[in-house]
Formats: sequence, C-alpha cells, structure tokens
Amino acid sequence: MRAFYGCEVTYPFVPQEVLDAANSVRASLPNRYCDPKIAADLYHETLDEYLVADDVGLNVMATEHHAGINSLIGSNPTFVGIIARQTRKARILSLGTLISLRKDPVRIAEEYAMIDVISRGRLEIGLVKSGGSEMASNNANPMQNEDRLWEGIDLICKALSHREGPFSWEGKHFTHRHVNIWPGPYQQPMPKLWAATGDPHSTAECGRRGIINTLVLRGPEGTKKAWDSYKRARREAGLPAPTRDMFGYAAMVYVGQTDEEGMRIGSKILWFLNTSLKTAPQMSKFLPGSAPPEAAPQIYRSKPRPAAISDARNRRTAPRAEEGTTKSASQNAAALISITPEQAVAQGILFAGNPDTVYRQIMEFQRKAGAFGNLNIIGRSGFLTHREAVEGIKMFAREVLPRLADSNRAVCDVGE
Amino acid sequence: MNPTTEGWTVGGIEVELLRGGSGKPALLLHGFQTIGPNAPFLSELAKHCGYFAPSLPGFGASKRPKDFDTIYDLVRHTLDLIEGIASDQVTLMGFSFGGWLAAEAAVMRPAKLERLILVDPVGIRISDRETRDILDIFNVRPDVVRDKTFYNAKRFAPDFDVMSDAELVTYARNRESLCLYTWNPLLYNPQLKTWLRRINVPTLVLWGAYDGIVSPNYGRTYAELIPGARFELIDNAGHQPEIEQPDDFVAHVASFMSRG
Repeated sequence: MRAFYGCEVTYPFVPQEVLDAANSVRASLPNRYCDPKIAADLYHETLDEYLVADDVGLNVMATEHHAGINSLIGSNPTFVGIIARQTRKARILSLGTLISLRKDPVRIAEEYAMIDVISRGRLEIGLVKSGGSEMASNNANPMQNEDRLWEGIDLICKALSHREGPFSWEGKHFTHRHVNIWPGPYQQPMPKLWAATGDPHSTAECGRRGIINTLVLRGPEGTKKAWDSYKRARREAGLPAPTRDMFGYAAMVYVGQTDEEGMRIGSKILWFLNTSLKTAPQMSKFLPGSAPPEAAPQIYRSKPRPAAISDARNRRTAPRAEEGTTKSASQNAAALISITPEQAVAQGILFAGNPDTVYRQIMEFQRKAGAFGNLNIIGRSGFLTHREAVEGIKMFAREVLPRLADSNRAVCDVGE
Repeated sequence: MNPTTEGWTVGGIEVELLRGGSGKPALLLHGFQTIGPNAPFLSELAKHCGYFAPSLPGFGASKRPKDFDTIYDLVRHTLDLIEGIASDQVTLMGFSFGGWLAAEAAVMRPAKLERLILVDPVGIRISDRETRDILDIFNVRPDVVRDKTFYNAKRFAPDFDVMSDAELVTYARNRESLCLYTWNPLLYNPQLKTWLRRINVPTLVLWGAYDGIVSPNYGRTYAELIPGARFELIDNAGHQPEIEQPDDFVAHVASFMSRG
C-alpha cells in the first residue's frame, strides 16, 4: 500500500462569532479575516510536514479549494511546484487543480508538465471537477460541469502525451488552435491519472479509462458502490479486472502512542467537517446541477407535505430514497457537518488510535469496501498543530505503514 | 375559456404549448419559470388575443435537444416559433428572461412581427463594470431573491411546502436550464444594447414599480434604446406584474394592442 500525506492548509483563526454569523464560511467571508502573516506560517509548516513525510517514506498530496477557511491552497500547481523541488523521493499527488473551473486545459497541462519535470518524474495527476461554492468563486457554470471535466481531461491528456508539434482542438467546451507544450512531462507517455469522485457515473468512466479512483470520506458503503461501478464498467468494456492499485481512499488519519492520544488529537481533524463545510444554500443545495431535479421535493420543502407523509406510510417496506441512490456531494456534506469523533470512526471517515487500532480500522474498511492500494491521509486540519502533525506522520510511517506495505499479509487479511 | 396544453413542433423541436383566447395572435415567452395554466392574467388576456405560451426547450415539459444550450439557439428558436404561427402578424410578448429573447428576436426584424411587449426584461447592461444591473439570482440567498422578486412576496411567491412533487421538479429543472443558458455573463448579452435601435415595430416596455431584480430605471433606459418605445409602470408589483396585478397588466397590454 502506498500512503500519501496531505494537509489542506485550513485557516481556523477566524473568531467563532464571525463564523456563526456568516451565511457561508466559504466564498463569501471577507479576506480581512485571513492574516497573511499567519497564512505564511501555515504554508511553511505544511511544506515542512511534506519534507518529514518524504524523509520517513510517505508520499505527499495536495488539494485545491477556493476562498474559504477550509483551505488556503487556491492554486494547487503553485503549491505542488514548490513540493516538487523541496522533496526528493516522495511521489507527489496533485488532487488536484479543479479542471472544470479552469478556462484553458492546455494551461493546466503546461503547469503539470513543468511540475513533473522539476520533480524528475514524481508527479501523479488528480482530476477533480469541483462544485458548490467554488462555482461562484470561479465564475464557473455549474451546469455541464461534468462534460467540461471530461473534455478538459481529454485535452490535458493529449497535450501531455503529444510529441509531434502543434495540434488543434475544437471541442464543445474548449477550443485551442495551436497546442504544443514545452517541456512535455518527464514520465512517458505521461504521469498517472487519479480522480476523486464518488458518483457511479464518473467512477464508471474512471474504470473505462483506467484512472485511479479515490473516494473522499465516503465510508465503506458508498465506496463499495463506487468501486463496484468502476469494476462493472471495466467488465462491460471487456477490459481486465482492476488491481487494488487502481483504488484509493481518503480518510482523516492520526496515529498516537495510545488510543486516547490518537483519538484526542485525531478528532481535531474533524474541524474540517464541523466548521469549514458551512456553505450558503444558494451555493449548495439550491445550486443548479448539484442534485437532479427529481430531488427537488426533498430539497425545496421545509417540511414534508401531508400527502407525502401518507404516501410514505403506504410504502413502508419500500427503500428510502437515500438507500437506493448515491448521495449528492451537497447531501454528503450536510450529513458530515454534525459528525462526532465516534461516528466518524464508525463510518470509516476517521482512522485514529494507537498503531494497532489504526491498522485494524484500515483493514476493516477494506473488508467492507474492497481492497485498495492507496491511502490518502488527511493528516492535519483546524487546530491540530504542526508538532502534532509531524508526530502523527512519524508514528504512521514507523508503526502502521510497514504492516500495510507488507502486501502479502495485507491482501491475505483483506481476502482479495 | 380555459387554456389547453398541447405539443407544438417547430423547426423539428417539439415544445409544450399553453394556448387560449382568440383573435390577434400573441406569442408569450416565459421568464425564469414557465407560465402556469391557472395564472389569472391568462383568462383576462384571452379576451384580447389568441395567445401561444410555449415552454422553451429545457423548461416545463419541453425537452432540450442535444447541443441546444445557448441564447443563440433560443433566439433562433423564437424566430421559428413566430414563423410557426399561422398568421401574417404576430405580437411578441416576453417576460423577464423571455423579454430578453423577445428583444433579441425583434432586433432581427422577423417579417411577421407586428408589435413587441417587453415585461421587466433582462438582457442588457447599462451601468459601470462594478455595478450590477440584474440581481444575481443564483448567488444571492433564496429568501432575498424571493423578496426582491415580488412586491407582496407573502401573497405571491411560490410556496414550496404546498407545491406538488411534479411542480417542484419542474421548478428545479427550469432553474437548471436558466442557469445553463444565462450563467455568464449573467442574464445579459453585452452586444444587445447597441442593436436595440434596429427594432422597428411598435414597442411597449412594461415594468413593475417595485421590481428588485431589475429596477424601473433600467427599464426606462431599455425603452429609450428602442426607437419610439413606450415605457409604462405598473404600481404595487415587482418583477412579475402579470402575477401581482393581472388586471392592470392586461389593461396596459390591451390598450397598447388596440392602438392603430
């Protein structure tokens, strides 16, 4: 198993009364609440954590979010470009710049090729489509978001792998008459691709394209559903069954000396869910495209209709809507915002405790969801300190990773 | 006479059509939401014209053809709709978003266009680059949008708790389509203002005096850009005067339509 350490560079220092009064802690909070001097410290601390991870044999990853307390990484390639030069051995996962928000995929290919070359071939590219408040922050139409993502990916892949001089692209969403990036990527033909997505339609497409699929905080049931879709799509396309290297899972992870320490410190990461997810309704549940129109009765009503209640009684044995379908990202967020540490552990969102406990939690997750070959560690958030993060990284690398990396034993334990 | 709902195919595209009244034909282009068959203004309007109120592609029960996803498509579809009415002369009446489409179509001088009525239309930008003319309906709290839309929101705003499942699904689908067509720039065409001078039919610009989506001042400027256009205010109404003041609204329309 490969493990990737990541920190979103959250900004927890806005007064609670400001956060409580705000309609949204993303997109709309004035940036006067973000002190650039503190932000500088946070960036430096995180880069130092990546260097520690590199030293102890972990890989690293960085995400991108816009204009909120949930992350100060508004430009993923900028951050990953620094990591590319500062680390020496680690694989570097950009997870990733938000493709469907950006107007020119060729520019993305250019940035990634540069980073891959600077790192001498250590980059892996995560393709993320974005949604919610980031549509407003980036002026991106929430409709046709997924179509833009896939066309963008096609264009990025061609730009990264094409070696024969300028080519032309006249697609539905993007046009570019003269694509010819310099340099091309260090890895040939191009770096590995990842996608962080949980909806079955997208995961099926990942399966057909052989893109590594990681699920972020979806729990074992949602993850299994996504991977089943991935596997089925490959089977239906006549492609070989995927190996566990094609799957990843992103969880909050903290390893302490004791269960008490692991849980006490690891619980701090939940700040990301409890505090930094608060988003205005027009940027979440009411945003066009965030849920299918058929979900409108649940989304728009403040209470069930009397008639709807009696309908529900009449079909008591029928599955509830959320059991039959995959939750939308905004529904998922709403469920996570009030989660407790114990619930987070039970739901496979937080792996925390002493080394034995964390190992057992990760293996248990795989028993439920299926084996995966990549663990994306959300290792620091909110008020978890730099010192605690560094200790957690070292403990994970020393006490847990060797057991996970022992592939025979790990596979045997999971029963792949 | 109650309106009837039927399918109407023009230019190979089938749309849902609400039809009523008789006499001079009027093509009604809906706003952010489709026109409800029970809207009181329709029965009044039916006394003065034969109206055709289609649900534009992507709205109501009308499918949106593949790759039909821009204002360019909607404007050409509007020209098809005008041609599809079996009459030599057609009055075009556009509400809000539909008013934008009606203005765009009128700029192209369709042969059968006799009159143009714009009701609180969007579609142009008049202020400086840092002042919004049109409320950002997708990026402002829903309760604020609701209060800005109506003079008397308590009485006229849609009540999601009593709407049927089907009505709510249509409401959400209409918002999706509106978003697809109009997200950026939001609800206007930067080029349209220059070309409004080409409109060469009698034009009435009607405005709700308390419209908080686009202000009456915006409306006055809109009317000034269209040669010979009349600008008339409807009191005690917001962005949808046809909903809040149906009698007054139809009185303005009827008076305009009966002019020589």
